[in-house]
Amino acid sequence: VTSATRTDADLGGRLDGAVADCGRRLDAASTERWEVFAKASVSRETEVVDGRLRRTLQVEESGIAVRVANAGRAGFAAASGLDRSAARAAVGNALAGAVPADDPMPPERLLGAAPVPDGPSLPARGWAQHVSGELAMALGSISDHRLRLDRAVVQEGRYAWRLVTAEGWSAGDERAVASALVDIVVGDGAGLWREWIHVADPERFDAEIVAARVGDRALLTRHRVTTDQGLHDVLLHPEVAAQLLAALSPLFLATRADRDPLPGLLDGDGLLAAFPLSLVDDRTDPAAPLVGPCDGEGLPARRTLLLDEGAPRHRVASYADARRFDEVPRGGALRVSYRDRPTTGFANLRVLTDDGMPAHELLGASDRTLYLLRPLAPVVCDLASDSYRLVASGVWLDRQRIRGWHPVVELTGGLGILLRRIEAVGTDLGWYQTAHGVVGSPSVLVRRQPVVG
Amino acid sequence: VQSPSAVQPPFDPVWLDQLADGCRRLRGSHPRFEDLYLERRLEIRVESGSELASVSSDGAAARWRFPSRWTMHASTGVCADAVAALVSRYADRLEVPPSAPLPRLDLDPPRGWADWAREIIARAPGKRAVIRYLARRAVVVRRDGWHHAVSPPLVRLETARHAGPALLSVWGHERLGRWIRALFEPPPSRPWSPPAGLTVPVLFTEGTAGAVLHELVAHLVEGDLVASGQSPLGGLGGAALTDAAIDLMDDPGRVDLPGAFTCDDEGVPAAAVALLRGGRLCGVLCDRETAEICGTRPGRGRRADWRYAPAPRLSNLVVPAGREDPRDMESGLTHGLVVTRLAGATIDPISGRTVLRVEQGFEVRHGRRHRSLDTFELTGGVTEILAGIDPAVGNDPTPDWRLGWCVKGGLPLPTGSEVPTVLVRRLEVL
Repeated sequence: VTSATRTDADLGGRLDGAVADCGRRLDAASTERWEVFAKASVSRETEVVDGRLRRTLQVEESGIAVRVANAGRAGFAAASGLDRSAARAAVGNALAGAVPADDPMPPERLLGAAPVPDGPSLPARGWAQHVSGELAMALGSISDHRLRLDRAVVQEGRYAWRLVTAEGWSAGDERAVASALVDIVVGDGAGLWREWIHVADPERFDAEIVAARVGDRALLTRHRVTTDQGLHDVLLHPEVAAQLLAALSPLFLATRADRDPLPGLLDGDGLLAAFPLSLVDDRTDPAAPLVGPCDGEGLPARRTLLLDEGAPRHRVASYADARRFDEVPRGGALRVSYRDRPTTGFANLRVLTDDGMPAHELLGASDRTLYLLRPLAPVVCDLASDSYRLVASGVWLDRQRIRGWHPVVELTGGLGILLRRIEAVGTDLGWYQTAHGVVGSPSVLVRRQPVVG
Repeated sequence: VQSPSAVQPPFDPVWLDQLADGCRRLRGSHPRFEDLYLERRLEIRVESGSELASVSSDGAAARWRFPSRWTMHASTGVCADAVAALVSRYADRLEVPPSAPLPRLDLDPPRGWADWAREIIARAPGKRAVIRYLARRAVVVRRDGWHHAVSPPLVRLETARHAGPALLSVWGHERLGRWIRALFEPPPSRPWSPPAGLTVPVLFTEGTAGAVLHELVAHLVEGDLVASGQSPLGGLGGAALTDAAIDLMDDPGRVDLPGAFTCDDEGVPAAAVALLRGGRLCGVLCDRETAEICGTRPGRGRRADWRYAPAPRLSNLVVPAGREDPRDMESGLTHGLVVTRLAGATIDPISGRTVLRVEQGFEVRHGRRHRSLDTFELTGGVTEILAGIDPAVGNDPTPDWRLGWCVKGGLPLPTGSEVPTVLVRRLEVL
């Protein structure tokens, strides 16, 4: 099975040459089973400060990773480059470092490539400066010049990869990606607001929509300080909700039954969360940051339903973890880079928003709400003891009117209770970087949570 | 811990001389050639239930300077052709001679390292841990010659119990075994959670004050924050930040700490920079670019690896011993908290408040340890916390092994600290 690839001839040829070179060396060493992954990328980073181009970076990176399983021993090694010395180093170190272990690679019958939509094209040169200028103007316009774009770092890139096994199966893909990091000055001496923006399609980038999304939140910190505590309805901004979901995401990774905290978090009806919350891991979503025809080990890409209207359904696992923990292999192996062995991980963990409410309706869904704007420390979920702790800044809303800014506020309590008090999710899905990869979340409204002032 | 002077450069010195000579004679350059960075890295990973993984990575990056901007091009590989292509991008083609074969680069861990790592994993709680051996060698080529950047090899440990790296140390540090034992100790039974809103004196012992000063002082005097006006300490040069007459240095020459280097990644030889002298702010940490803006010396241009441009980053924070016996400092507390391990610290640039996550410690009543603490957060304003540091400083400078893996703007770098016990008179429990 070979997926459709659109790699340009030169890069594609080098990738094919590198994996073929490794394959010859592995066959010559009579290696029973092997897998070679080769990747090459080109990225541009443009930094614009106060409207002026300050720095450009262009990085070309390539490397090879080799996994072997031979006579009850398994090994992994990676080396930078696509030339003969890289192939020699990767193959040699993988064989030399092999230790007694089970064969960690999936059988050929499970491998395949799912059809995935073509990604966006790499934007033309100058796009980064253009969008920085547009964003600066839009921010000034929506905020009556109370917000100023201090710095924008725009990243654009293209990557291609090949995955080949000893049995002759191969797959590959090529995609372009773009993102931006913006620093916004909020008023005079009031601090700096930093936001990462995933750009799904550079051609459809709308500076006004992005400026409104970033600026509205930053402006809320300009209000006078007001603190409160007690049991309150809480609206989590997508970034706060994303960090919370990331903290509880280990619940959806395959694990040993005797270490599994999930059963202890379910209610009598077998629900982890209220029905508005459904979660998937989806490698086929063209709007998500990580898209491809197969997972890091060659299992076809798919949408894995993790939480179905509050009820746990499936778990993500690499092939080795699926086998170890009695899960059905669904293609949950992630390669963070060519340097990393494929391990269990989420490609694009996200909330389903099909039945979500528009954000403005969520804001009006309660008389008095704490709207948490952004986390100030990593969200902690103690899955074993069914507790969570969330430190964030937020604003107090009375019937949609802002009563004041709460610079540091803490929410703490039972994780299961929190999840089962979710009243609604929004439709304003955004992607955010977390400790567990990129997570997509909309706003989330939770009823009656203990707030510490 | 190996002496940096004993380490050979990762490339043939004659070839590097030829390369530097070629860079000096570059013709046709519209932008000015700034530097060429060549790096070799090795990471060996041992993980429970998994094979040993070896990752080697070579890369090069060349920088040029236009009148109003910088540009950098980087690519995988350090062979002569790749280097020639990088250096010749804005100039006539530079003929780079093929590099002479060198003896095997001494980046490998010492014999038996993998067995040592497996033994540690077997002792880890649940036998689940990841241990990494991290080594890198770099050379910075400038018009005035080449500079060898040596950093000590590091060992990094991750466990299932800790989010992110749980330990970072120079490989071979005499206390490494003791730190690992401390890390694997079971958490206290029935720990106490201090109530939110409680405002108490907090004694930072066992090197934990290093992480506090890392966040509250060192990050805030990094040149990019100061030059852009975003640091709350910007413009306070010469001002007394704290009543404690402490001297705070950033010292990359401490080869026993993870942030050590012989020269920074822009070729500036390592030299200690005083940040606080007698409690007064007196230094800024700059790379070459921000040093020009701040009017100070460069020397802290550090790269996460060859793919990234240098940025101002701290190395090793060091505070010399004070006069107080830390036991006397603790016994002098009527009611307070003793912190023996921190799990993290962040600063919110909007509100200027810091959040310190306490992983281990004790409540002290009438000078005696009353009960163990559960994990919790402390908070306070940056300048208020600094102003609240008690003049009495402990006589026990202690390296921190828990929080050396510092991430700024998404880019991780090893850093270190060795700081004595410090009392903050007032902090609020979140």
